[in-house]
Amino acid sequence: MSFRDTGPLIALVVIVGIFAALSPGFRTLSNAQNIMDAAAVLAVVTCGVTFVLMMGSIDLSTPGIMGASAITVALLVANNRNDNELGLLGVALAILVAAGLGCLSGLALVLLKVPSFMTTLGVSAVGLGVATLLFAGVQPNISDGTLSGWAVDRFLGLSTLTWIAVACVLVGWMVQRYTRLGRYAFAIGGAEEVLALSGVNVKPYKVAVFTMAGAFYGLGGVMVTSQLGAGLVQAGRGYDFSAITAAVVGGTLLAGGRGGVLHSTVGVLLVTVLTNGLVLVGVSPYWQGGVQGLIVVAAVAAAVIPQRRRNQVTK
Amino acid sequence: MNMQIEPEQRATAPVTALEVRGLVKHYPGVKALDGVDLVVRQHEVVGLAGENGAGKSTLLKALVGLVRPDDGEIWVRGEKVRLRSVVDAADHGIGMVFQEQSLVPNLTVAENIVLGSEGLGVRRGVYRWDAMRRLAQEQLDKIGSRIDPLARTDTLTFADRQMVEIAKVLRIEERTSHPPVIILDEPTSVLESKEIDALFTQVRRLREFASVVFVSHRLDEVLDVCDRVAVLRGGQSVGELPTADAAPDQLHRMMIGSTGSDDHYHGAAVEPPAEPREPRLVVRGLCGRTFRDVDLDVHAGEIVGIVGVHGSGREDVCRALFGAEPTTAGEVTLDGEELDLSGTRAACAAGVGYVPAERKTEGMVGPMSVADNMTLTKQEARCSGPLVRPRKQAKLVDTWIQRLSIRTPHRGTPIQRLSGGNQQKVVLARWLVSGDVRLLLLDHPTRGLDIGARSEVYRLMRELASSGVATVLLADSLEEAIGMSDRIVVMNDGRATTEVDAPVGDKPTPLDLVKEMV
Amino acid sequence: MSTPVVTKPAPDAATVARPTVGQRLTAFMPVIALVVLLAALTVADPSFLTQSSLTAVVRTAAPLVVLAAGATLVVLCGGIDLSIAALCSLGTVLFAMWLPDLGGLTLLAVVAATGAIGALQGLAHVFLRIPSFIVTLGGMSIFGAVALVISDAGPIRVVDREATHWLTLYLAGVLPMAFVVALLVVAVVWTVQRFTPLDSWIRATGYSESAARLASAPVDRVKVAAFTVSGACAGLAAVMLVSRNFSGSPTMADNLLLPAVAAIVVGGTAITGGHGSLWRSLAGALVVTLLRVGLPIVGVPSAYEQILYGAIIVAAVALTLDRSKLLIIK
Repeated sequence: MSFRDTGPLIALVVIVGIFAALSPGFRTLSNAQNIMDAAAVLAVVTCGVTFVLMMGSIDLSTPGIMGASAITVALLVANNRNDNELGLLGVALAILVAAGLGCLSGLALVLLKVPSFMTTLGVSAVGLGVATLLFAGVQPNISDGTLSGWAVDRFLGLSTLTWIAVACVLVGWMVQRYTRLGRYAFAIGGAEEVLALSGVNVKPYKVAVFTMAGAFYGLGGVMVTSQLGAGLVQAGRGYDFSAITAAVVGGTLLAGGRGGVLHSTVGVLLVTVLTNGLVLVGVSPYWQGGVQGLIVVAAVAAAVIPQRRRNQVTK
Repeated sequence: MNMQIEPEQRATAPVTALEVRGLVKHYPGVKALDGVDLVVRQHEVVGLAGENGAGKSTLLKALVGLVRPDDGEIWVRGEKVRLRSVVDAADHGIGMVFQEQSLVPNLTVAENIVLGSEGLGVRRGVYRWDAMRRLAQEQLDKIGSRIDPLARTDTLTFADRQMVEIAKVLRIEERTSHPPVIILDEPTSVLESKEIDALFTQVRRLREFASVVFVSHRLDEVLDVCDRVAVLRGGQSVGELPTADAAPDQLHRMMIGSTGSDDHYHGAAVEPPAEPREPRLVVRGLCGRTFRDVDLDVHAGEIVGIVGVHGSGREDVCRALFGAEPTTAGEVTLDGEELDLSGTRAACAAGVGYVPAERKTEGMVGPMSVADNMTLTKQEARCSGPLVRPRKQAKLVDTWIQRLSIRTPHRGTPIQRLSGGNQQKVVLARWLVSGDVRLLLLDHPTRGLDIGARSEVYRLMRELASSGVATVLLADSLEEAIGMSDRIVVMNDGRATTEVDAPVGDKPTPLDLVKEMV
Repeated sequence: MSTPVVTKPAPDAATVARPTVGQRLTAFMPVIALVVLLAALTVADPSFLTQSSLTAVVRTAAPLVVLAAGATLVVLCGGIDLSIAALCSLGTVLFAMWLPDLGGLTLLAVVAATGAIGALQGLAHVFLRIPSFIVTLGGMSIFGAVALVISDAGPIRVVDREATHWLTLYLAGVLPMAFVVALLVVAVVWTVQRFTPLDSWIRATGYSESAARLASAPVDRVKVAAFTVSGACAGLAAVMLVSRNFSGSPTMADNLLLPAVAAIVVGGTAITGGHGSLWRSLAGALVVTLLRVGLPIVGVPSAYEQILYGAIIVAAVALTLDRSKLLIIK
């Protein structure tokens, strides 16, 4: 275990310690529950982003994909706009739509050879557009018991959403550890040209990773819908940046080939604890984005410093 | 087929595993391969020797399908083949251990060994770590290695990674029923002597069940481990020697060719500089990432060549003097004033010019015009105050196009449409337009140029020297270094070890230098 | 550990072929797109091609032109500035807050402030060696937060309308002043670039940063300058928005990021750097605005606008990308 692996964990413990000392409200059991629940959606989304980052690509499509899946699921389960009542099938379909959008990013990347930050920016716009179309000016409120129950029902003190997040992290970790997809994603970030030299066609794996990431964002969008009780176009607003922040802070390298789902989950907790703690010690919640912006720049700078060379090209 | 007579064949005449006939490969301006022949028999270790640019690496790349030859044939076990990719080559039983290692650093050893053909290691996309470890262990056992298959590759030493790579290459045995051909490209360049011994043991072990092509610039090693050495020169096969009765000198001579033919360099060499004065460039104890304690003096009007094999650190010394490579210690003065090595801007302002070896990526800005490339560095030469004067630029550029006889349709033509020689002249002109350059650092200025363009660059270098510019030259070949330089510094493992005077009429021979280099 | 480069055969072509028909077409892409769009809209609605609707189009386009023009410089250097929209929003808030105190100087103060913020991003990119898209993505988040905090998350009404009144006037009765200013910005930046060594330096940096550095071009300073101009342009665009909406708001310009990026790439400026110009982005911004205005005319719901942006960005980048520079596309 290197410092790079344990550093974020130590930072998490330190930050928890500091806030616990500063704020009595932070040290309560209910606040711990709050933090876990608040981290749930971000954890799921970050699972997806992590695989993309592991390849050395970037994904900015989160807000669009989450928006599209949030509206889709709201219109497919029992709601006030139509007579659909598909329940869990609706959830699955929404995730499928999201996966399709993710697949689109991947296809544009490997077929048109457009860098991922551009394809995903485009797909994000497409997702938002689809969401706006489906939204059609009337907010779909859900009345599906199961879905709205996810945010409320608790098991062992944690909401169903949190348990879903835990399951996602586990699944993500298994994929990363035990499947060719996960290992190749890791290897693509490490040395893509070597894979080609060994006769591996990396394109399908890249598309698959973006598709899988899309599915995770889709689930995230569904979870947000469950929290809000309604489908919103802006369901994923800000999650792109928060997820990248969490992954980078957790030790996933932007250049790819390092880190993983567990690292990112530590990052998610770090970001959530920071947000929660700052509010409890009296900092305006509006600073949330600012704090994330600063820590992502700092984390990337810290990761880059050991590899600095003169005449290195940074785009 | 005739299974009965095969053992008999092996007993009498060894089976030809791989044969190359008349291989030709052109790159713009150069013939990298110009009719190369090579025969590799079963259970034989064949050495491949040749200077930089002799065509070794192009030949190797052609053998593993990374380069498509323009002409010529490759035969594997009596069958003519076309190799389109590394996988193709592997299917025909040819595999290569690359000089720059080709392992994924963040995967485990086992994954790297089976990468691309996981077989039982992966079922329906799911890893069977046990099976994968067994597969890798089988490979590692073949070479008797004790590396842990589940270790992360980037935690291993270079030598261990090389063993992993050999184990990986041996997987091609499973693709063919014949003994494979394994190519080792400069495998010893970064190894310690103990590790080299271990590697040689491996090579001898490999011979038991494979053929080996061994490429190294250390000739003693080639003679030590190979059965036979084939020599390339200028993209052509110039012959081969059984190692049993060959001496390094003999090989050197074959690699370099008869020295008499290179007289055209000597004939026009520069006048020796006037009586000794304070040197223009004084370098004392310069240390950096790949070099230590380098001392170097260059007088005004002098051309000093630095020679050394791959990894000697001479390129980095050159870049360090231009502020493009960090230094950790040392003093550098130019005409008595301390030279600021903090960056390329400072070096340029002090009158240092640099022509990089990688012309296409570092020397020129391809899509920009000849004129803009030529005036990129010395902007003041085309400006009045902060403003660019198009007429001033046009006049200046046209003057230099004429003076250096640069063949370009127009000064506004993108430089990437010019031939290599003319591109290089534009890059050189960049340092000349303002007339204030005092020290020129030339890193392989003739790389990739044809004979005509080369001699023009030589003429230009001589003119510059006689106008008083101090020049440091990293030559493309030893003859070039000898022919062009007044003095030659030999670098070895990051240190400047020897200095040889090379005045006109008393030039050292390439052989003299090679002895110092390795 | 070393990364092998063996997969790349020595690049062929000492003489690069002359531009193909396709390349020539993409060179004129923005103008062609503009003409085709205008024609199509006129066919769909013959009353479209009138002076008043064209005036409305360029008036709407003005802030987008300024925003895109500034960011184009960063793209020409081979980077990307994703913070422009958030910085512009922050600019509107700053303008609305400072106006009562600074009066006529507010415009300069806002442009100077956003320019300084842009410079800061440039410095972070250059000295910390952080990829520009991460610096500016971080910046986007930070500026958004700052704007939210200082404005208390709500719009700030501008009472003194005199200060921005001139921007709402019309030159010769037809040309909106805001658009004239936008044209001026493009012209001035282009002129400075064109007639000084900056042009060489910017293009050299964008095409081949390492070659530029080894030719001792001031790569770092050029990049910081590009980010500074980009920031300042965001500030100016902010003032234009305030003049139109009579208020500043922390999210006012956030939805201009996609159109601005679309304007740059539709203009034909290569996202890989070096190739392109500010005039192209001007044309690109007009194309994007026409699309936005024109969709309802041809009967397409405006919800398709976003989808169109997405498709346009990907398609335009695919067309203009300099693939020789990207051996491995991440």
